[in-house]
Amino acid sequence: MKQRKGLFITSFLVLPVALYAIMVISPFLQAFYYSMTNWTGTNPNYKFVGLDNFKRLFTNELYSVYLIPALKHNAFLLIAMPVIVIALALFFAFMLNVGGRSRGSRIRGVGGSKFYKIVFFFPQVLSVTVVGVLWGAIFRSDEYGFLNSILALVGIPTKPSGWLSDPDIVLLLVMLVMIWSSVGFYLVYFSAAMSSIPTEIYEASMLDGASRVQTFFKVTLPLLFESVQTAWIYLGIIALDAFALVFVMTPEQGGPNHSSEVLGGVMYHYFSSSKAAVACAVGVVLFFFTLTLVMVSLRATRRERVEY
Amino acid sequence: MASETTPNEAGDLTRRSVLKTSAALGLLAVPAVGLLSACASGGDDGGDDVEASGDAKNPFGVDPKKPLEVVIFPGGFGKDYAEKQKTVYNTNFPEAVVTINAIEDLRAELAPRFQGKTPPDILQNEGANKIPHGELIANNQYHDLQPLLDAPTLDDPNVKIKDILYPGVVESGTFKTTDGSSKFFVLKYTYSMWGLWYSQQLFDEKKWTVPTTWAELMTLCAQIKKDGVAPFTYTGVHTYYIRDMFVTLACRHGGTDVIKNIDNLEPDAWNHPSVLAAAEALYSLKKQGFILGGSEGLDHRQSQARWVKQDAAFIPVGGWLENEEKDILKKEFEMRLMAVPPLDGSVNPQAINAGAGEGYAVPADGKNVQGGLEWLRVMLSAKGREAFGADAGTPTVVKGAKEGLPLEDKPGLKSMVGLLESNGDFAFQAMIGDWYPQFGDGIWGPALGELMSNAKNAAEFVEACQKGADAIASDDSIEKQKR
Repeated sequence: MKQRKGLFITSFLVLPVALYAIMVISPFLQAFYYSMTNWTGTNPNYKFVGLDNFKRLFTNELYSVYLIPALKHNAFLLIAMPVIVIALALFFAFMLNVGGRSRGSRIRGVGGSKFYKIVFFFPQVLSVTVVGVLWGAIFRSDEYGFLNSILALVGIPTKPSGWLSDPDIVLLLVMLVMIWSSVGFYLVYFSAAMSSIPTEIYEASMLDGASRVQTFFKVTLPLLFESVQTAWIYLGIIALDAFALVFVMTPEQGGPNHSSEVLGGVMYHYFSSSKAAVACAVGVVLFFFTLTLVMVSLRATRRERVEY
Repeated sequence: MASETTPNEAGDLTRRSVLKTSAALGLLAVPAVGLLSACASGGDDGGDDVEASGDAKNPFGVDPKKPLEVVIFPGGFGKDYAEKQKTVYNTNFPEAVVTINAIEDLRAELAPRFQGKTPPDILQNEGANKIPHGELIANNQYHDLQPLLDAPTLDDPNVKIKDILYPGVVESGTFKTTDGSSKFFVLKYTYSMWGLWYSQQLFDEKKWTVPTTWAELMTLCAQIKKDGVAPFTYTGVHTYYIRDMFVTLACRHGGTDVIKNIDNLEPDAWNHPSVLAAAEALYSLKKQGFILGGSEGLDHRQSQARWVKQDAAFIPVGGWLENEEKDILKKEFEMRLMAVPPLDGSVNPQAINAGAGEGYAVPADGKNVQGGLEWLRVMLSAKGREAFGADAGTPTVVKGAKEGLPLEDKPGLKSMVGLLESNGDFAFQAMIGDWYPQFGDGIWGPALGELMSNAKNAAEFVEACQKGADAIASDDSIEKQKR
């Protein structure tokens, strides 16, 4: 009986598993193979070259000017961006849901919280290209730039080396835009999670005289831990990508002089410059980079579940 | 649509689905890929070999009923001219169905077709997403264009096509093949140059005189700045626009060998004093405050718009500028072109960065190679050139090409043609960026951008370029070109 049930379930799984194998596993394996050939994207007679592409990516000046900065930048984004987004989103979500002054014993957000929720969610509605073009206009480097004209209005001289064209800050600006466009979504996400926390817990903590800060750290955050972990994974994926914004916003799509290069962009660069095999190799590097991080983060955040 | 002329697509799909099914069945990817490559290399190698006969009407033996697929990159000059050239082709072959496809992203649409051996019959391989000629030639995917050179022109059966082209045109389309021989594969169709554009109207109004030396230019720039205009703007977003100023200065200062040595990846080619002098000159522009604020972050259209507004006096762009900005340029603006004026002690002060551009090729696996060659013959005929000149306003590689150009309506074109005539004997081009895009886009461009924005000084610029050139020279996987 049990066996037949298993068979029954498996028969339903055949289609999705086959689709997964065709659409996900097989391209993965093919990318691994292609990364060890000299396939350009157009040559039908490519050869197996072993690990040459990987060696080039890390040691040959022509390739490492792309790969090394990209690895560094993705690592930086991966560490900094999710922390900031989660911190901001949690703070705003707390303020909008339970941060308001309590009248009587009702738990509520700050005044106008419904309006804020909509406003914060706004960037999520825009496509990433629109976001990139919009911020490109804000950071435009001459006096027609939005930011520069505001600075001029208040009498501060324009930044002479531009914004996105300044190698020292271009990556920070890209990250700023990523944060701006992500906070709203996670604010709504955390809000939903917070509303499922029973109000009795808050009321109890209030009766015990807990301050807002104490309520946040001792009640809200521990009960939201699983949501935070999920958010962390999604944001990690966004941080490892960042390709679209870099592509739309930065000079030379990763510049100036490779100072905003990201792995997705490097992959695109090699695909579009007749080095499909090298692009696959970058993909493989990204794969192992991601795999390591996932393993580390799953280990680090493993803890017991709180039931409520 | 492109797919209309690819009857093999069905077979291609089957192959792909077979491959995917086999992978899904649990086969490893390695044998699956082996299967793919076995299929991919199963086709016949190369197209038919075409030779030019003496028949002036149909020297390549075109089958009059065979359809012809023309792929045009519409970025620079649109596709209207090709539609007009089509009527010329159809005059001789009225039954042939000619399809003209304008494709922006050539790589995305054509790489699979080259891989599957179903390319178009004629291809203008240009734009940001072109497939480098060298790559296709290394796979024997272009047909030799020698028969075209040996064929009679459409206008005069006694004149061969090779005799009507400007000198250097055949050289610039000649590439080394896999067997080591050199063949003419790419017909570059336009003849144009790079330089500094300025507005005669603005110069007259401010009573500035056009400088003839770098020193005069510097004095003028100080004056321009005093008059409240920025002397220079440029696009820092697309750094290859800066190449011209650098190569012209270096070539004028030290002679064409400086550029040839760089192209040939000679050791220490970048450590030549003329290279350093050119780099120092460019570095000094921003240092002296001669550059419009924020230029390093402007794209080409933004910087050109500022120049058209006369916020800046000079802008380095190629010959297409007048066409590209025709919507905002007024005729009174009187745009003029000059080459970057020579540094003190220049040995080759008349050099201009000019040459053939816009490469057209006949894919070897096309279904109508003869038709492809005939199409090029049509393009080089008087009527074909007239169609191009009227639409694109750019000279072609056929000698005396300014005939039929709308010179009186286009002051910029007129000034460029004048320069091409007076300095044409000193024309040169740097090839390194085209031959080795990894160097041009990955090393040279970024270094030029940083030189202009003063993030790198001249010595650092030279060092970065020499290091990159050495890396190309020592990489065995890169096919080396020589000039």
